[in-house]
Formats: sequence, C-alpha cells, structure tokens
Amino acid sequence: MSAATTNQSGQRSRKDLACTAAANAYQKQFGADLKRRVVDDGEPFAIVQADTPHEIFHVMGIPIITNQWWSAYISAKQLSNHYFEVMAQAGYPKNSCKYCSLGLACTLANDPKTAPWGGLPKPTVLVARMTCDCIQHVFGQWADALGSEFFPMEAPAWEHKDPRWFAHSKDQWEQVYDADRIALAVSEMRDLIALLENRTGRKFDEAKLHYLMERINEQEGYIWEAAQAIGTARPCPVSIAEQMPNTMIPQWHRGSDWAVNHAKRFRDEVMERVASGAGCATQEKIRLMWIGAGVWHDPGFYQALEERMGAVFVWSMYMPFAGPQYIREVQGRPMEALASRVCSMNEVLHLPPWMNGWMTSEAERCGVDACVVLLPPENRLSQSGTKITAEALEKAGVPVLMIDADMVDAGNWDHDRMVGLVADFLVQRGLA
Amino acid sequence: MLSYAGPNLPHDLFDATGRNAGPLTWNIDRAMPAADRWLESKFAPWTRSVVQDWADGALDHLEAVVFTRADDSAQRLYYYLCELRRAGSIKGPEPLMLDIAKIARASSVARTEAALRQLGERLDVDAAALSAAIAQGNATRRATTSAEAGTKPVVLIAGSPLPDARLHRVAEAEGWSAIGRTLADEWADRGPDVDAAGDPFAALARQLNTRHLDTRGFTNRAEALAQQARDVGAKAALLWLIEEDDTTVWHLPALRAALEDMGLPVLVATRRDWSCRDGIDLEIAAFLQGVAA
Repeated sequence: MSAATTNQSGQRSRKDLACTAAANAYQKQFGADLKRRVVDDGEPFAIVQADTPHEIFHVMGIPIITNQWWSAYISAKQLSNHYFEVMAQAGYPKNSCKYCSLGLACTLANDPKTAPWGGLPKPTVLVARMTCDCIQHVFGQWADALGSEFFPMEAPAWEHKDPRWFAHSKDQWEQVYDADRIALAVSEMRDLIALLENRTGRKFDEAKLHYLMERINEQEGYIWEAAQAIGTARPCPVSIAEQMPNTMIPQWHRGSDWAVNHAKRFRDEVMERVASGAGCATQEKIRLMWIGAGVWHDPGFYQALEERMGAVFVWSMYMPFAGPQYIREVQGRPMEALASRVCSMNEVLHLPPWMNGWMTSEAERCGVDACVVLLPPENRLSQSGTKITAEALEKAGVPVLMIDADMVDAGNWDHDRMVGLVADFLVQRGLA
Repeated sequence: MLSYAGPNLPHDLFDATGRNAGPLTWNIDRAMPAADRWLESKFAPWTRSVVQDWADGALDHLEAVVFTRADDSAQRLYYYLCELRRAGSIKGPEPLMLDIAKIARASSVARTEAALRQLGERLDVDAAALSAAIAQGNATRRATTSAEAGTKPVVLIAGSPLPDARLHRVAEAEGWSAIGRTLADEWADRGPDVDAAGDPFAALARQLNTRHLDTRGFTNRAEALAQQARDVGAKAALLWLIEEDDTTVWHLPALRAALEDMGLPVLVATRRDWSCRDGIDLEIAAFLQGVAA
C-alpha cells in the first residue's frame, strides 16, 4: 500500500503503513482542539521546549505548545521564510539560530492575519532547559513579548560519563544520570508545579504521575520492540520517513490512551511487515543511518535512493531513543524517574561520550553500512558531537557523509543535489 | 599548576591553591588541524586554539584545566576533551568542570556551592584557605582603579569579546580612544567583592550565581550597555559580533536602540571574523572619520 504526502519545498514521501495516516489525522485534530482550548476558550497553557517535563502538564491537564512542534506547524504553513525575514528586519543577524526561534519570530511579527491561529495568546509560563547559549535569550524575549514569564531549568554538568549509558538507563537511572542532578531537576519541577498550581488553580497529583509513567513505559516499550525488530529484520520493513511520525506524534501525547494504543498498532504493523518479508526497497542493498533532526522540508529525501540503489535509511534517533531515554522503572519515585528522563535528554544526543557511544552501538545493532550526518551551519547545539561521532563510526567501519544543511531552513537545500551527494558518496566508498 | 578557561570563574579559589597558572591563552593566527578534525564550526574561535595546544602537548606542564558551565563553548569543550583523552587521541592535563548554575533560584545557588566544594576538595582547598584568598582577592578588587579620562573622543566597542587590542589600535590610529573588553579581560574579571563573612564556599557561590558577565547571565544587557556608554563618555559606538556568537545576537536590536536613543552614532558589524581579517579595520576607520567630520 502506498500513499503520498505533499511537501512544496521538497519531495513526496511514500507511506507504507496504515497507522501513519492515522497518526497524522490524529495530530491534525489535536491541533484543532488545541487551538480551541488555548485561543478560543482561553484556557491556561504553557509554551515548552521538547526536553522539558511535559508529564507534569499532562498530569495537571494543562495544554502545552511544544516549541519544536509549533515551529514545524509554522513551517508546514510555508511561513518560515517570512518569519526569517521578519527577524532580519527587526535587526537580528541572519545567522542566528533558527530552529528554536520561529515561534518568537511569529510573536514579534505581531500580524494576526498571517500568523497560524492568529498568533499565540499569553501563556501561563514558558519553560526551557538551558542546554545552549541561545535558548534563555530566545525564551526570555518571547516571554516578554507575550507578557508572560520564563521558567528556566538548569542543564547541569554531568560527571558520570558512561559511553554505554543506554544499557543501564532503564533501571539504574540514578547511577547513570547522577543522583544530585536528578535531585536538582526534582527541586525545579516542584517549583514549577507550585507556580502552575498558583496560576491555574489546577492541582498536581503524584499518584497520577506514577500511573502516567507506567503508561509511558508501556508505550515506549512497543516502540522499542518495533525498533529492535527493524534493527534485525532484512529487508528493513519501515523507512525512517515513517518511523519518525509514528514515534514522535505519540511522543507529544505520551502516556495517553491514544498514544499507547497507537504505539501498539505501529508495533503490530511493523511486525506484520517483518513476518511477510515486506521491505522499503524492492532489493535492499545498503542500510543507512541518519544522524540529526529530520529534514522536515523534504521528507521524500529519505526514500529517494531506495529503488535506484537499494539504499534504505533504516535508522534515525527518534525511534530507538524511545527505549533508553524514555523507559524508566519507576521504583516508587515517579518524580525522580521523570527527572532522570529529562535531565539529560539533550546531552545524550549531542555530547560525547554519550552520543558517539550510543550511535556506534546502534549502527552495529542495526547492521548499518553507511551514515549521513546533518551539520546545520548556524546551530551549535545541532552540530555538537557530530565530528567525534563521525570519527567513531568510521573507526567502527561505517563510512560517514556530513552534509551542511538546516532542518527547518530550506534555503540551501536542493533535493536533487542532496540525493546526488549521497549517491556519489556511496559509490566513492565502494558501497554501490 | 592549574589553569582555567572561561568567564565567571572563582579566582579566589584558584589563588587559594597556590598553583594558579592563570587563564589559558590563544593564538588563532595559525593552522589548527586538530581543531578542524574535532570541532564543529560554531564553537567559539578560542576553543580551536585550545584544542590545538592540547593536541600539540603545549599544555602538558599543567595538572588540570578548569572549565566553566557559564559559557556554552567552554562547557561543551570540556566534554570533547574528556572523550578525546579517554579515546587516547590526546593526552595533556585533566579537564575539570565547574558546574556554575546561573538561574536566580535557591536550588541553583546550592548547586553552585556544591560544585565549588567539590572543586575545592579536588584542588586541596579548605574553607580556611579559601577565606584567606577571598580576603586577599577583595583587597585586589578594591585596589583596581579605572583608567583616567583622556582628551581623545571615546568609541565604545561592544558585542562579542575581542580577541585582543587589534580593534583598539585601529580606532587609536584615527585619533580616538577605544574602550571595549577583550576575552582576556572577561576571563580575568574577578567580579564584585565576595562576602567575607560566613561560609566562604557559600559566599563564593552567591557571587558567581549573580554575576552577569557570561553568556548565561540573566540581566538587561541594553540597560547595562547604555550605562557603560554614559560612564565612559562615549561619542560613538561599534557593535561587533562574530559569526560564532550565539548570545549577543539576540540582544542586538535592543543594544542598538539603546545606543541610538542616546544620540550616539553606531556602526553595526555582524557575522564577523574573530581574527578581524575581513576588512573591519577599514570600516571602522571610515566610520570614525565620518563621525569626526
């Protein structure tokens, strides 16, 4: 079965799974419901970064708008370039980090006729972890522009450097992530809860958090089970173009009945394809790894070489991340277990030894033949760790191609040229 | 001997060790293949020199180097160096991290205090030694005097920290006096007095947490810049930001507006080369000549 998604700046992506359309439909309805709640009904809500404890808001029934999701929503409306220009006209240099600032740009533009939803109303709070030099400035200015408050969270130093963190994170999270770092995050989360209770009148219930954490474990368990099957199956049953939405859309709603059920449905469809021997490519010859955020403006890029060269992107971080970074034995301490999930969510993806340790292990687990790394020229955080990881992969026998491009700015992206780069690389490295 | 890299660090604690070799230095006017190999393009330029020196063995005489978490390039570099040492790609001194937490919140101050105690233990500095060093450090702070006002008009250079005095010299050649902080100035800044009463680690933690001098500080940068312009009697200003700047770029519109609201002529130069080999000298000269005309 095949369906197609249109993307005006890139190429269509093929859909092999029925659940992909269901996920996209759910997310579309969710967007409409979210708009009704925060814009039409004026419910209290929060703007949050992806690596903050969403679970607290879920437990309290407070809607959240995730900055990365909102950026993707703006991009999907073909408004990215307009807002990049708004920032430039406001006097911000054009090389300022774009990934996290599209929402700020939309607010600064102050143009309800153009903005999605007419622009965001005043949130109760904005929340971000200070994982880079940019984010506190972006969120601070965004909070000022919206007349709201910025609640920053520390991204503390991490002394316990275990390259094989992923092997122990599920049950030994206190050792892996450092007890004192977890304690700091718990303290901050309690401050955040107090702020939310005071401002919204809604109450936090730790028993509800415990239940939610168990449901999230169930959801991530399905995703991880499917990820393991994809790693061992030949041919690869599901390209990363479909792994991403079926992992990330439920991830925004983690622990909800829909998210758990969708993860199970996705797992089941993956297993059916494995059992039937269905593959992304007619003849799979090369298994590729993708390191970096998704190229949201050209989803068809990932499938472009499947038929031509038998080259299939089998791995991106989103799906296998569900296992080691989300599943937590609660151990009667849901706040601490949650803190261990969020206190290093960014670090393990962008800093050595965690990034290179995990990704070389994943390359081996999935039988990866070659790797393509996204290197956004104007984003230090997204660049971080890529060269050391590339060197580690090469040392492990995995050829690596690094491409200078941005995940949300299509300005320097040309589909045919990028596909050609990958094709030439595979030939040059003797893989095709 | 030990050294350090980054702003917002506890100089009093370093002095208390009796082994303080001062900050790392940099030389960016050379080929740096080790940096090319391991560092991505958005790292602050000084990190490239440090990695090259580390790989070349130029820092082997040091026992340790302390990095600050109050600067993203510095904290990120710490992890890179640890990994490169673990992998055997480089040798050299032990990288240490001082986990400075900048949020104005009790838990962040406590985190910083704990980090200072841990570093003190690692460097064999107890409370008594630190108290003595704080007393000496406060005396040094009070003895520091501002430069006397000269007769030349003053151009204020702000934005990214300067590599050295090369842009000062450009302004001076045009008959101006330039005031602008170099990266070395920022790293050497001891900050305000440390409370000498009570526990010295707690006092030092409070001082570090509330300081604004770093990429993670919470402060109104436009107000601070306007005040500085008034303090030095600036007649013109240069807002100079390098390509790798991830902090000041977000305040550029406000900084520019604050200076222009004071009636100052302002030259804005963004995405610039830290080595200043991109023609900025000619642009500054033309700007200052225009202001003077």
